[in-house]
Amino acid sequence: MTKTKLQVKIVNVETGEEIVRDANAEEIAQMKIDVTANEALKVEAQARASQRQEILDRLGLTAEEAALILG
Amino acid sequence: MATTTNYGWSTPDDTSLVKDGAAAIRTLGSSVDTTTKALNPSTTLGDIEYRSATANTNTRLGIGSTGNILTVSGGVPVWSAPAGGGGITSLATGSLTGTAVNLTSISQAYSNLVLVLRDWYPAADAEGISLRINSVSSGSFYYGAVIHSVSATVANTGPQNAISINNGDRNPKNEDNNNAAIFTFYDYTNATTAKLLDANFVYKTSTTNQQAACNGGFAHNPTTPVAITELNILCTGTGFGGGSYQLYGVK
Repeated sequence: MTKTKLQVKIVNVETGEEIVRDANAEEIAQMKIDVTANEALKVEAQARASQRQEILDRLGLTAEEAALILG
Repeated sequence: MATTTNYGWSTPDDTSLVKDGAAAIRTLGSSVDTTTKALNPSTTLGDIEYRSATANTNTRLGIGSTGNILTVSGGVPVWSAPAGGGGITSLATGSLTGTAVNLTSISQAYSNLVLVLRDWYPAADAEGISLRINSVSSGSFYYGAVIHSVSATVANTGPQNAISINNGDRNPKNEDNNNAAIFTFYDYTNATTAKLLDANFVYKTSTTNQQAACNGGFAHNPTTPVAITELNILCTGTGFGGGSYQLYGVK
């Protein structure tokens, strides 16, 4: 996995001034919150996909067949 | 004395004496000159004429400024600057680097904003990309729904603390797969209503290695509505692997 330094680019659209700096403590804390939230949503999406597959298996349908019926 | 049919210029009668011919011709010529000038009052390159309220007398309209268009005001033609509208202006462009790109001090002189991301991808598989408005990361003011072609889901999101632009999958691949995204923020200067955002994006997923196309609609609806002055493009975790952004203002 490629590791990227936690940096923030700030672009002043009015003046065109561009600053790249290391993320501050507050921003790093927010990133951790975001990563946790993203992970939770990812787990939730995966759980939904698993549930969906279980139902399809019970019904003996493929995802394409289910989509055809529901579409 | 006889006169011409249209302009009433005086001409000699059939019975007029030859000795009066010079004076008659001079009178006729003078009348023709006067009428012609009244019909053609132009003096300068680009002048045009239009009929005035007086019969057989036109009004001179001097050439307008560059870019002007001919329109009507008070029942007569006038040159005027075209009304604004429809124009699109590039406000900012650059590369997607680090974990966040914050576009600040966005001009309030436009109707809508359009943000385009080209060739974006995360520095590691399965890092989601998200957007925030005005750096607001609390309050859970972001709502949305995304239709996702690969996961075949309609993902309803919110309230959340950011707009998740690849929701429904959240697993973009760590490769330059010519991913693209375009977002339109409507009425972004309005400080009294919620902000609406259209999102369309395509990327390759790391889980199925398939190209995914997504379409979403989002709203930013804080308790106290605000104008958008800043956009935050986020790739939390390991950050952006590459890509570029372009922000446009639309009149």
